Amino acid sequence: MSGDAGTGRFAGGERLLGWVDATLVSVCLSSVLIVILGGLVQVSFGSYSMTLGQAWRAVLDTAVLFDPHWMLNFLLGEDLMRAVTGFRGELPELPTTTLIVWNIRLPRVFVAVLVGANLAISGAIFQAVTRNELASPYILGVSSGAGLAILLTLVVFSGLAPFLPLIAAFGGALAFLLVYVIAWQNGTSPVRLVLAGVIVSTVFQSLQTGLFFFADDLAVVQSAIAWTTGSLTGVDWEQVRLALPSTTLAVVLAVLGARQLNVLLLGEQTARSLGMSVERTRFMLSGVAILAASAAIAVAGIVGFVGLIVPHVVRNLVGSDYKRLTVGCLFVGPALMVVADVGARLALNPVQVPVGIVTGLIGGPYFLYLMRKQQNLGDV
Amino acid sequence: MAKSEHEHTSATTDGEQGEERDGALVGDGLTLSYPTSERPVVECDRIDIPRGEITALVGPNGSGKSTLLKSLAKQLTPDSGSVLLDGKTIQEYDDKEFARELGLLSQENESPGSLTVEELVYHGRYPHRGFFEQAGEEDHAAVERAIDLAGVDHLREKTLGNLSGGQKQLAWIAMVLAQDTDVLLLDEPTTFLDLHHQLRVMETVRQLNERRDVTVAVVLHDIAQAARFADYLIALKDGEVYDWGPPREVVTEDLLADVFRVEAAVNYTPDPEIVPKHSL
Repeated sequence: MSGDAGTGRFAGGERLLGWVDATLVSVCLSSVLIVILGGLVQVSFGSYSMTLGQAWRAVLDTAVLFDPHWMLNFLLGEDLMRAVTGFRGELPELPTTTLIVWNIRLPRVFVAVLVGANLAISGAIFQAVTRNELASPYILGVSSGAGLAILLTLVVFSGLAPFLPLIAAFGGALAFLLVYVIAWQNGTSPVRLVLAGVIVSTVFQSLQTGLFFFADDLAVVQSAIAWTTGSLTGVDWEQVRLALPSTTLAVVLAVLGARQLNVLLLGEQTARSLGMSVERTRFMLSGVAILAASAAIAVAGIVGFVGLIVPHVVRNLVGSDYKRLTVGCLFVGPALMVVADVGARLALNPVQVPVGIVTGLIGGPYFLYLMRKQQNLGDV
Repeated sequence: MAKSEHEHTSATTDGEQGEERDGALVGDGLTLSYPTSERPVVECDRIDIPRGEITALVGPNGSGKSTLLKSLAKQLTPDSGSVLLDGKTIQEYDDKEFARELGLLSQENESPGSLTVEELVYHGRYPHRGFFEQAGEEDHAAVERAIDLAGVDHLREKTLGNLSGGQKQLAWIAMVLAQDTDVLLLDEPTTFLDLHHQLRVMETVRQLNERRDVTVAVVLHDIAQAARFADYLIALKDGEVYDWGPPREVVTEDLLADVFRVEAAVNYTPDPEIVPKHSL
C-alpha cells in the first residue's frame, strides 16, 4: 500500500514514484544482491581460480574503473574509443587477475544481466498484450523466428553477422506478425494467439533443425546448437556493446508504456471506451517486446522460460500493476539469469552447459508448481 | 461549454423543422449486426438521446438494447446509418477526443484483483492525459469528485479483488465519472446487484444528471426500475424501436404484453407502477 494511505488525499498510484512500495524495493534490492553475489562467484571461479577477496579487489580495481580509456574501450570497442578520445598510445598494463576479471568474466555477467532484463520485460509485455499469462516470446513464435533468422545468417549469409540483433529482431517480428495474422479473426483472442504461436514455432523450429543439414562443418553446427538452446559461453564485451543500445531503448519504452499496459488489463472494451486505439497500442507494445526479446536472442540465443516465469514470480510478489511489474522484472530477470549462468558455467566444471538448459531445469518445475497452486492459470 | 450554443441553434431550427428534438446523441437509420450474426440485430430509423435527461433503453433479452448502446458508444460500427454526437458523426472524433465527450460502462468488466479502487478511478482520466503525461491537479480534482459522487471514499485503498459485486460496480462507476464526460452510457449497471447497491447506482446516476447536467442513456433490465428513474424510455422489440417517450406514456399494459410478453397491471400514481401477474 502506498505510504500516504492514511491521509486519503491524492494517495498512492498517481504521484511521481508514488507507486513504489516496500515490497518492490525489497524485491529489487534482493535481486541486486543476488546479482552481485552470483557475479562474484562467476568472476572468482574458473580455470584460473582466485579467492573471493582477490576477485572483489579486481572488480573494484581503480586502474580500470577510473580509467576512461579502459571503460570506453569496453563499452565502445577499441576503434571507436580511439576515434572518440583521440587516444593513440597503448592501454595501461593491468594485473593478471584484473585482466581476467574485466576482459573475460565480467562481460559474461553483464550480458547475463542484459539478457535477463530483456527476456523478462518482453514476457511481461506479451502477457499484457495478449491478456494471457502463458504468453512469452517463446510461446508466441518470436524466439523461433529470431532463432531461424540467426541460424540463416550463420549458416547461409555469414557476411551479415555484424547485424545479428537487427536480423534477429526482423525474424522475431516476422514470426510474430505471422502469428497475429493466423490468430486474427475480427480481433484476436488469447487462446488463438497461443495456438497460432505454437504452430508457427513448430514450423520454424523444424526449419532450424533442417538448416543443420546444410551446415558445412561441425563447428557451425555446434554454434548453431548453442544458439538454439541459449548459451552465454564465450560472450565478450562485443556482446555487451551489441545488446546495450536496443536494451536501453526497450527498457525505457517498456517503463513509459506501463500505464498503457495497465489500461489494457482492464479489458479491450474498457480500454477502447477510454479512448485507447487498442489494436495500435497492442501493436506498438508488441514491437517493444520484440525489440527486447531480439536483443537477448542476438547475444545469447534462445534462452527458454525466463520470459515466462520472471513476470509470474514478480506478479506474485508485487501485484499486477505494470509500473511495479516492469521495474520488478528489470531486477528479477537479471538475478535469475546470473544465477542460472553460474550453474551453467560452474556446476559441471570444466564442462560448460548452455544456460538455456539450466533455465529450463529451473523453469519447468516452477511452472508445474504454479499450475498446481493456481486455480485459473491463464488469466492475467 | 458548447451546450447553450447548441440549444440556441436547435431552437432556431425547431421552427423550421417542427419536430426536431435536441438530441445530444442521435442514431440515424442504423442497421447493426455482428460479424457472426446472419441478419441485422438492430434496425431503427431514428433514435434520440435527449440532452440533459436520463433515457432508459428497455426491452426483453435479445431485443438489441446493448447492441444499440454499443453502436452509440462507437464500439460497434453500423452496417449503415450514422451516429451523431452534438451534430457531428462519431467517426469524425478521434478516439481520445470522443472518450472525453462520451463515457461508457460496459456490462461486464475485467477487474485485475490487485488494482486499488483509486488506481482504477485514475484510469478514467486516460483520455485527458498525454501518452507520457503525469496526472495533474485537474486529474486529481476529477478523481476526488468521482470518488465522492460514487460514494467509494472508504474503499479507495481496497483492492478490487476484495470488493463485493456491488462495491466493484460503484468503483467502476467512479471510473467513468472521472472521465468527466457530457454524455454517459451505462449497459445494465444494476444487473446482478443487491437491492441496496441497485439503488445506490441509480441514485448516483440521478445525482450526476442533476448536479452536472450529464446526459445519460442506460440499458436496464428491469422496466419498473426504468420507469422510476428515467425521464425517457426507449422500448425495443426484436431490434426495432417499439415506443419512445416519458415513462407514463410508454409504460402501458399493452407494452408489457406486446414487448415483454407479461400480463401486468399498471397503476399511475402518477408514475407508473407495475404489478406483473403472469407470463404470456
